[in-house]
Amino acid sequence: MEPIIPLFSIPVALSALAALLLIARARGAKVLGWLVLIGMWINLILAIKLLAPVFTGSVSGYDTNQVLASGFKIDGPAALFILLTSLVSATVLSHARLFFRREREGNEELDDSALTVYYLFSLLFHISMIAVFICDNLGYLWISIEATTLMSAALVYFNRDKHALEAAWKYLIICSVGIAFALFGTVCFYISSKYGAVPGGSLSLSQLAEVAPHLEPTYVRLAFILCFLGYGTKAGLFPLHSWLPDAYSEAPAPASAMIAGALLNCALFAIFRIYQVAYCLDNHAFYQELVLWSGTITVVAASVFLVRQHGIKRLWGYSSIENAGLLLVAIGLNSTPIFLLHAVNHSIAKVALFLLSGDIIQHAGSKELSQIKGIWTSMPVRSTLFAAAAIAVTGAPPFGAFISEWLLLTGCVSQGRWLLAVLLVLAISLAFIMIAFHTGRILGGGAPKEKATEPEHAGFNGIVPGALLIAALALGITTGPLVLGWLQ
Amino acid sequence: MNLTLSEFFAVGAVIFAIFMSGTIQLRTNLLLYAIQTLLVGVVTAAFYLASNESQYLWLALVVILVKAAGISLFLAWVLRRINVFRDGATYLPIPIAMHVCILMLGIAHFLADRLPAPPDQSLHLQAGSAESGIALVLIGTLFMLTRKTAVSQIIGFLTMENGIYLFTLAQAHGMPMAVELGILLDVLVGVMVAGVITFRIQKSFEHIDVTQLRDLRD
Repeated sequence: MEPIIPLFSIPVALSALAALLLIARARGAKVLGWLVLIGMWINLILAIKLLAPVFTGSVSGYDTNQVLASGFKIDGPAALFILLTSLVSATVLSHARLFFRREREGNEELDDSALTVYYLFSLLFHISMIAVFICDNLGYLWISIEATTLMSAALVYFNRDKHALEAAWKYLIICSVGIAFALFGTVCFYISSKYGAVPGGSLSLSQLAEVAPHLEPTYVRLAFILCFLGYGTKAGLFPLHSWLPDAYSEAPAPASAMIAGALLNCALFAIFRIYQVAYCLDNHAFYQELVLWSGTITVVAASVFLVRQHGIKRLWGYSSIENAGLLLVAIGLNSTPIFLLHAVNHSIAKVALFLLSGDIIQHAGSKELSQIKGIWTSMPVRSTLFAAAAIAVTGAPPFGAFISEWLLLTGCVSQGRWLLAVLLVLAISLAFIMIAFHTGRILGGGAPKEKATEPEHAGFNGIVPGALLIAALALGITTGPLVLGWLQ
Repeated sequence: MNLTLSEFFAVGAVIFAIFMSGTIQLRTNLLLYAIQTLLVGVVTAAFYLASNESQYLWLALVVILVKAAGISLFLAWVLRRINVFRDGATYLPIPIAMHVCILMLGIAHFLADRLPAPPDQSLHLQAGSAESGIALVLIGTLFMLTRKTAVSQIIGFLTMENGIYLFTLAQAHGMPMAVELGILLDVLVGVMVAGVITFRIQKSFEHIDVTQLRDLRD
């Protein structure tokens, strides 16, 4: 059975519907919201059903030479990321309905067409992200990643004010220039394969990995560095991260949740793929050091930036940069299981955190940390969830991220990289302390007197983040004993 | 030194890019960008004559129609709508910028010399030259770094993209057609999105100097 076309069918149909609604200038964002909610959950179930054979091992992966043009492939990591992205989209778009209902109270500008635009671009964004994971061709990979930038730029600009404009412009330009370097790198990979490794040249990642020792060394080195910088820009690699906190902070919460929970993985997945090629080269130690140290420096820098933050969502932006660094270290250790596990743990907790932050910003009426204080008294349910999500993101037990970060550190140590491990422990601890400190002030701290905060009507708003947190907890509890058993 | 026809056009594209960094009139910038892209299209067509593979002819047509004509006309329309025609101030004085661009051409020559010779020697002299490609990438980057308006940023990015395209043509005889078209589609949509954002910047800030967008910081 060919899974690729069914994977896209529901999001494509829904986005076509949204586009039709926009063209016809019809109202009906409410109905569309419900359809998207139901559709994306069916989409998730469909994805599980289609990709189950990859996980149970009955097929090692899908190659698609027979159907469309060649150049697409779904193997284990790709299947996992497709499921993760589908889960993130389903949960975010479910919560978005509640978020925007509250947002529309007293905001005339947020009319039906604005909401339809949101759904349209979220769906297109989802489609472009799924496209990233099925690519086995470097060229298609580049096209898909640039498409994710273009689609999400519209989401960053959603609020249509000056700050959103600034964030969207920086996002578009910095990421596009970064991606242009990745295009240069892609070209160099192609050229490197033409020196006898593959007659006529190849962009296929699996083919390049097979013939890696025969690739032209100068071009491969150039190719890897350019692609790494290019996709690294998109992943928030220090010092190319400057767009990331702005974009996360200015996008509406459900969009930031999708960007943080799913888009980050796309860029890292691209790096993961090219690293798999580089790892097959004779002199792979150079590439390994490059990735490991870039990752570590990113983690250290991000945790230092966490100390002085004034915006709640900027805080989580830097936390995402920190986690991107950790994921890079996992890639550098060439440990696919740790990379996948940490990506899943981080995405699930971060989505819950962004969705709850959106609710808190609505409640407090500001995204400045100085204005958000003492919310525990007025919204106890979501504050509790918020605290749990913040703890889960930092990688504290008993949540899943603790296990993956711990595995990462033991991985560093077992390869004899003590300096790396020490730096990472220090940075992770600093990040934990700062996030705990900021979260404590948000929850406790004297509430600003002038704002009469009405008591919370949590309603259904706690369901999606709550469910995600239960999943994060379950990941921690189930993977924990496995790891312990493995250690003994 | 013998210059083949396609190398001649490729170097011509670089020379027009250097001219482009010699003016702050945005419409002249656009015109020079269009000529530069047209020459890149001509290089592709010249390569078709040498290799006789019809896909290069189609590619040349698409490059000329979409990038040289379509994108330039779109950006010219954007400029007319927002009524901005000058790049107020640049970080580098214009004469120095032009000299730096010539220096870039030298650097590109040096870099291209250090690269291994192209894999397929039979046709490579007909496919432009790697140093023109690298020079365009460097000039485009410099243009983006030294100019201040949103439209100049877009033009600089497009020049970079032209450079990458020319480099690919020279060293690898182009990417597979599906990839080339996909890249072109992304660039087209990207320019559209950037154009729309430029409108909005003009509407909200009453200027398009993107260096003044710096409210967001830590």
